[in-house]
Amino acid sequence: MNNVLALAGVVIKELYRRKDFYVLFVMTAVITMMLGSIKFFNDDRIVRYLKDGCLLLIWISSLVIAITTTARQIPAERESRTIFPLLAKPVSRAQLIVGKFLGCWLACGLALIVFYFFFGAITASREHAWSPGMYFQALWLHWICLGIVVALVLLGSVVFTAPSSNATICFIVVMGIMFCGRHLNGVAVHMGGLDGTIVYTIYYCIPHLEWYDVRDFVVHDWGLTGLIPWVAWAGATLYGLLYSVFLLGVTWLVFRRKTLTV
Amino acid sequence: MAGLPQKNFDRMIRLVLLLVFACCFTLATELAPIFASLQARSGAGGGPLLVLLGDSRRLFANQFFTMADVYFHSGYYPTIFDARKKEGPSHLDVASHEEAGGSKSKPEEPDDDDQFLGKPRDWIEQFGRNFFPTTHTHLAGVNAREIMPWLKLSAELDPKRIDTYVTAAYWLRTSLNKPEEAEEFLREGLRANPDSHEILLELGRVYFYSKKDSRVARNIWELALKKWLQQDEAKQNPDPHVREEILGELVRDDEQSGNLKQLLADLEELEKISPNKAGIDKYIQDVKAKLAH
Repeated sequence: MNNVLALAGVVIKELYRRKDFYVLFVMTAVITMMLGSIKFFNDDRIVRYLKDGCLLLIWISSLVIAITTTARQIPAERESRTIFPLLAKPVSRAQLIVGKFLGCWLACGLALIVFYFFFGAITASREHAWSPGMYFQALWLHWICLGIVVALVLLGSVVFTAPSSNATICFIVVMGIMFCGRHLNGVAVHMGGLDGTIVYTIYYCIPHLEWYDVRDFVVHDWGLTGLIPWVAWAGATLYGLLYSVFLLGVTWLVFRRKTLTV
Repeated sequence: MAGLPQKNFDRMIRLVLLLVFACCFTLATELAPIFASLQARSGAGGGPLLVLLGDSRRLFANQFFTMADVYFHSGYYPTIFDARKKEGPSHLDVASHEEAGGSKSKPEEPDDDDQFLGKPRDWIEQFGRNFFPTTHTHLAGVNAREIMPWLKLSAELDPKRIDTYVTAAYWLRTSLNKPEEAEEFLREGLRANPDSHEILLELGRVYFYSKKDSRVARNIWELALKKWLQQDEAKQNPDPHVREEILGELVRDDEQSGNLKQLLADLEELEKISPNKAGIDKYIQDVKAKLAH
């Protein structure tokens, strides 16, 4: 466990040493404040468009951080050949994967806390009634979603040769699932036949990342009338953790027999 | 060049650069008015969005109008994958046209009549419904202000989209109690669409209901009716429902002012196009009876 935590610590340090997070945070803050400075029909209490814009930027930024940070972990270690002394410590390949995953996931969590704190501050400056429970649920589900994404990208980093191709493919897959994942069953029913069965099977197999995007609840203040049922929240958490474990398991299966020389 | 000492060579380079800069400056003073006149001719002057998007902005304008409807329903809205009952006006449009018919939408109340989601097909879909809004509600009162940014943006992108001005003005005038802003926005729309009887109808309502200036309102409605008739003569197929609404408003003004002769004339005009001929005929008889006394 110490080895895993040490590896995770290195990844977290890497996040705050690199400029990615700062650039994305400043960009999010500047665009949000520019949006906030616009006044529509002399009404300075219009807030939902601002929340919507800010949350969209937070989602994009967090996905960029998660995917780019994770995609370069193992390829960078292999390219610089630091993976050999690392595995000779001794650190097993399984520990390396879990350590990298934990580091990337925790780093994403830290970034999310900063982003949501900013979001909360912006919202509080305009809106005087907000639901901390809903904000917590949104932040938590967002973090669980990033866990699945990190595990997926880690799997990609042992399958694909270049981090850039891995990042691009993962970004497309994640976006595809988030936009269309919820509707694949409907599409399958319309298609019918063998094609429909294949699409329905894909629907059951893909990680349902769209569950974790609860922006509509936050933007439209549904939290003031009631939170997401805690059973559903716990179920989504369990599903996310299990899917991450599954992806990490597959990553380990691929990685354990992989030659490490570039 | 090779024979020049380094110091002189540097000076020469600086002079050449200065000359190039002076040329750029001179060209800019010559070209700027030409480009300005070209831009004015193409009618593309305006905000940065217009410059960035060009004519494709009209596609985005429709999307932003839809976004206003999404906000009006607090995120409960069909996607392109969800089956819609039928294509038709959005609830925003319907709400802004309800006034003429006398009925009002019931905001913040669930409306089970329009359940586009249907029954869940499997446990994943059923479970997934915990994570997005599944209740049909409408924004009520001052909360309707949340749709305004999208309507403003839609109008910026497509100034010819008349529905945007009418809908925004309706909400500004009614729920938000901002008649000045409503009038300003409608006049902005009128500058882009000078022959729009729909905008004139709504502008008249701003004067009649919010500013309590029935004289100006009547003049605007009469102008709206004139524009409608001109378009009808020109075979431009104006919406007959709008004519009915204009006449309805004129009748309302006659009732308020007590001008029975004008009321009779307007009712007779309205009877020709109204689906409720029997009701209006009875009203005409009542007015005639009053006039006889």
